[in-house]
Amino acid sequence: MRSRVVVTGLGVVSPIGIGVGEFWKAALAGQSGISAITSFDPFPMDGYRSKVAGQVRDFSVERFLDNAYGDRVDRYAQFALVAAKEALADSSLQMTKENPHRVGVIVGAGMGGMVMGEREITQLYQHQKPHRVHPNFIPTITLNSASGIIAMAYGAKGPNLTISTACSSSAHALGQALHCIREGRADVVIVVGADASITPLVFAGFCSLRALSSKFNDQPEKASRPFDRLRDGFVMGEGAGALILESAAHAKKRKARVYAEIAGYAATSEAYHMVIPREDGLEVANTMKLALADAGLTPGQVDYINAHATSTSIGDAVEAKAIRQLFKSRADKIAISATKSLIGHTLGAAGAIGGIASVLALHTGQIHPTANYDDPDPACALAGLSRSAQERRVKVAMLNAFGFGSNNAAVVLKQATT
Amino acid sequence: MATDPTVSLKIRTSLGEYLKRDPAAILISQHLRDDLGLDSMAVIELLYRIEEAFDLQIPDQDLVGLTTVGHVVTYVEKRLGKSASPSAAKKPAKPAKPTKPKSTKKS
Repeated sequence: MRSRVVVTGLGVVSPIGIGVGEFWKAALAGQSGISAITSFDPFPMDGYRSKVAGQVRDFSVERFLDNAYGDRVDRYAQFALVAAKEALADSSLQMTKENPHRVGVIVGAGMGGMVMGEREITQLYQHQKPHRVHPNFIPTITLNSASGIIAMAYGAKGPNLTISTACSSSAHALGQALHCIREGRADVVIVVGADASITPLVFAGFCSLRALSSKFNDQPEKASRPFDRLRDGFVMGEGAGALILESAAHAKKRKARVYAEIAGYAATSEAYHMVIPREDGLEVANTMKLALADAGLTPGQVDYINAHATSTSIGDAVEAKAIRQLFKSRADKIAISATKSLIGHTLGAAGAIGGIASVLALHTGQIHPTANYDDPDPACALAGLSRSAQERRVKVAMLNAFGFGSNNAAVVLKQATT
Repeated sequence: MATDPTVSLKIRTSLGEYLKRDPAAILISQHLRDDLGLDSMAVIELLYRIEEAFDLQIPDQDLVGLTTVGHVVTYVEKRLGKSASPSAAKKPAKPAKPTKPKSTKKS
């Protein structure tokens, strides 16, 4: 029989709080973490169409880590280290008591070490001095720098992987960790999603794609408004989420507190377009259906959906359509929330942070509000969306994540049975 | 051989910044790896800083002789034309006082 997989620890770095307690309190209050980008030092924001983002303010890695691991990695990997530290402490897992070869690390990251990446590229082209490229440039921008540094920090010698599927990276990281433990290749996997690329070039790139909100530059907290009629694009965010996944048997053996079970996962491709989803929503609906089948559950059992919902015109409408297709009349009985309404789109971190919101919905029976859902767009109206926090018993939750490159992920979580 | 106090101070300051340690506590006789805990990557990062500080380019073939703080100081002085002994940088270092290797990478 395949192993059941449970979540025993959580950690987060987000624009509305560093630490799960602070994050969840702010999320339930519907607090927005979106603010104006004042400048990309040393040049102003004038040329940017969008001028707002979900920024992690006043972060310095020294405040959170008492070792040197954070010194050699980029901002996204520092976020990953801080979130992983919190999640491990929360899980009470003691590495000294574990077989290190049975502890893996799987990180989802979309952009990676772009802070140093952009700086070094700029300097090289400006000054044309190849010998002045920083020796740490390659190890920093290599996309597995976060999974590597986490393994080093904790001596985790099991499978060490990085999943990069743009905006769905860490939902796939959760799914791959589920497979890894199910198949008996690890007892524990530290799953992290992280990105920190609110940087001049990446931000300009998303502006040029016309993917970002630009109508709410003067009211940043209004800019991220999934499913609302006035939504006009996503808001970039940054952060990290970490979840400790382990086999139910392993968790039981060490008497760990169990938050929830990761019960199913599906990965598909629409094989359609680099950035545009199929408008009929069929592939999204199919992905959710496959994930439920993997969990041995039916659409009728789902109580909550943590939607991908980035606040783009087409993306939200397609997801709503897919939810209606699959869940039919139950679609309006399912509580739905969009974490990106609070923190923006944290790219590679989005699946993990949405996963944390899903785990907490299962564990606490509280569902965070969808901020700015003021004027429901008829094209994607679902009765379970709310501007207010909701309380209800959630037995089964669905986490959606879709990424550029035409890829979809769905993860099914359920209440832990003892 | 007397070392140039400016060069020595600049190098020890660079090291101090990198190691987050008081430059005054860094001794000329210290071995970069055995005493200061620099691994090969860390030595490369240090030399990168020193190239910046002195506007130098250190060719790969010169790296092998740079194993103590003193070696680096002498080497830089030579490159800046401040040394009386052009071969000083290549001389093996007198063994430093044996001290416990201190890792700077883990804590």
